[in-house]
Amino acid sequence: MVSTFMGLETSKRALSVAQSALYTTGHNVANANTPGYSRQRVNLSATESFPSPALNSPRIAGQLGTGVEAGSIQRIRDSFLDSQYRSQSSKVGYYSSLSESLTKMEEILNDPSESGLLNTMNNFWGSLEDLTTNTDNIGARAVVASSGQMVAETLNYYYNALTSVQEDLRYQIGVEQSGINTIISNIQSINEKISKVEPHGYVPNDLYDERDTLVDQLSQFVNVKVSTVFPEKYGIVDKAAAEGLYNIELIQEDGSSYMPPINLISVNHTGIVGANTIEVQTDSATGAVSGVKIGGTMLQEYKFAGALTGLIESAGYVADGTVKGAYPDMLQKLNDMTEAFVNEFNYVHSQGFVVGEPPTNGGKFFEITDGKNAAQTIKVNADIIKDPSLIASGGKSNAAGDNENAHHLAAIKSKDFTQYESGNIPAGLNGTFDTYYAGVIGNLGVDSASVQKDHSNAQILATSVDKNRQSVSAVSLDEEMTDMVRYQQAYNAAARMVTLVDEMLDRIINGMGTGGR
Amino acid sequence: MRVTQSMLSNNMIRNISNSYEKLAKLQEQILTQKKFSKPSDDPVAAMMGMNYRTSLNQVEQYSRNISEATNWVESTDSALGQAVSALQRMRELTVQASNGTYESDQRDSVNEEIKQLRQHLVDIGDTQLGGKYIFNGYDTNKRPSDTMVDGAPSYGTDEIQVEVFTGIKIPINTSGQSTFGEALKTGGTIDQLMESLKSTDEADITNRLAELDEMINVFIKEQAKVGAKQNRIDLMTDRVGQQEVFAQKILSSNEDVDMEKVILDFTTQESVHTAALSVGAKVIQPSLLDFLR
Repeated sequence: MVSTFMGLETSKRALSVAQSALYTTGHNVANANTPGYSRQRVNLSATESFPSPALNSPRIAGQLGTGVEAGSIQRIRDSFLDSQYRSQSSKVGYYSSLSESLTKMEEILNDPSESGLLNTMNNFWGSLEDLTTNTDNIGARAVVASSGQMVAETLNYYYNALTSVQEDLRYQIGVEQSGINTIISNIQSINEKISKVEPHGYVPNDLYDERDTLVDQLSQFVNVKVSTVFPEKYGIVDKAAAEGLYNIELIQEDGSSYMPPINLISVNHTGIVGANTIEVQTDSATGAVSGVKIGGTMLQEYKFAGALTGLIESAGYVADGTVKGAYPDMLQKLNDMTEAFVNEFNYVHSQGFVVGEPPTNGGKFFEITDGKNAAQTIKVNADIIKDPSLIASGGKSNAAGDNENAHHLAAIKSKDFTQYESGNIPAGLNGTFDTYYAGVIGNLGVDSASVQKDHSNAQILATSVDKNRQSVSAVSLDEEMTDMVRYQQAYNAAARMVTLVDEMLDRIINGMGTGGR
Repeated sequence: MRVTQSMLSNNMIRNISNSYEKLAKLQEQILTQKKFSKPSDDPVAAMMGMNYRTSLNQVEQYSRNISEATNWVESTDSALGQAVSALQRMRELTVQASNGTYESDQRDSVNEEIKQLRQHLVDIGDTQLGGKYIFNGYDTNKRPSDTMVDGAPSYGTDEIQVEVFTGIKIPINTSGQSTFGEALKTGGTIDQLMESLKSTDEADITNRLAELDEMINVFIKEQAKVGAKQNRIDLMTDRVGQQEVFAQKILSSNEDVDMEKVILDFTTQESVHTAALSVGAKVIQPSLLDFLR
């Protein structure tokens, strides 16, 4: 025999489940535009039917259904897509910070243009050519001095602007370091909250979403691998819907682990072990990054991809005792070519004669401070600016019309670095001053273009993975609307069922036992 | 694939912003008239552009040098021409004076005119071009007649060279020493002629005629050399002029935009953009809500 009120109980269950399904639909609609939100679903299952097989269970014909229950509320998400997205996102972060800093470099160097170094150099060479035809003209000399000054100022500007961007990049490294550490500690505290909720059988979907959003953010800065851990002695866990605790490991660009593994957040079978912070250390002498310390591990190679690597590779890092990176390399090239050029120009200048009595050789045309950065300190000798007649245009004599040395000075334009007579050429210089610099700009262009291409490729991949992720997790209002109709009708039908049972009971209670009345 | 409203609107925003990016790029090309603004836009073209620009600058510089050389050569030519006419006038006077009918006071006045002509030659030897003494070698700031050696002006012999093309240097000056220096030197032809005119020996004066002819020939030869130099410079002018046009053309074809193409691209992109906007606006508006009850 079944109980008199069984029908009521079944309908009551249906009512409350339909209600919770409606409320979940409401929650989905409310969060349709929340970033990182995954749609939630009430997992419905039929309750155990009556009677359940047992030794002394009542004997009736067949098993009667007893209604529905809400097994759990689960978020719809594909963790495989998450890990795909995160590995792309670390590439996007890496290439975007690299391409941004290279683009800034291109903007500063501003070549080819009317105001770049190449054009300034062309003006300078032109002024020297003009000097060969007008050696006795003080105006032509003044033009040589002032266009030399412009070359020096252009180099000064390049150097200073590049170093100031480099400073900004270093500052940004500090900002990102604290950003990363904040994210890690936030994930850690969410992990803790989850560890307090899950053992009670609850599924904290919204905490999961929050945690995944934070991991997405973290993956822009560094490449990470997430694994879920259910500690032993964790109590009763809804294994179907619960996701456990996140163990977050720092991995290399190619997806391989460090040996031994470096955990940003470590969780093992005993529970939460703790979180590590990232500390970027700088070399006090050069200001370059000398290592990244994570917990007790010191990394001196920056292969963890992400924006942090991009910044470190732009701003400069110490490797094998020298400073490397996009900005230090460019500054080094500017210094090297400036130094070689200044030495050669001064050497040729000192071989010539100044106009006027007594015959004197030319002094220094350009000056650089010894032991300092050539491109930063280059300037035209102040005496020459004051008195341009000190430019040594004569090759054999101090006569006003002797233009031989002016020819020699102008010929430096087409001289290879290897032909420089001043000797002591820094390694790596080849071609003439102009072609070397054009090569530097060309290489920068190629590098920057390829990084931009990589960036847009990574961006396209990340977007497509994110699209797949959205396809799984995003809230569709049409769908929710349909669900709303569905569950509302279910609710209505269950309510009608209650009415029906009520009428049945009414029949029994008020309508029966009055035979013959 | 399950598609949601947020996917549609994200997609639309992304596509519209891509479309704006393309429009911005085309707009920049139209405004700057250049195919690229940063080396990374087109690294190869940027590098070629820098080389082309350098060679264009060089060619422009050479044509400036050539015009300076032309100035020098032309001034030298005209100065030598004047000198030749002065010497020819001297010869005419000498022929007259060699005539036995001339009285001594007539010879004196001839002598006086020759003296003036000699001074005229000195002045021509001091010819200046833009403040530079062109017959005095490197000492362009010194007047040759100020530096007297043995009572006659002396002229520098250095060659002033100007680069008119890569590796090609042309000496633009002519030394006054073999011409003016020889003619004016103490005890030279003119001095001897003036001496002879003081005497009454007509045969002596006639002898001077041959020497004068030789002198004139020296000047004319020098003038011919200058003429040859001028021809060479004219050829150079043509060559550099062609080079300049060529360099400009190659620079322009490397980095200047093809206006018709860019405008066409811009118009196409504009219509794509408008279509994207209107389709997007239609797609994101309706939802099931519009049709329920």
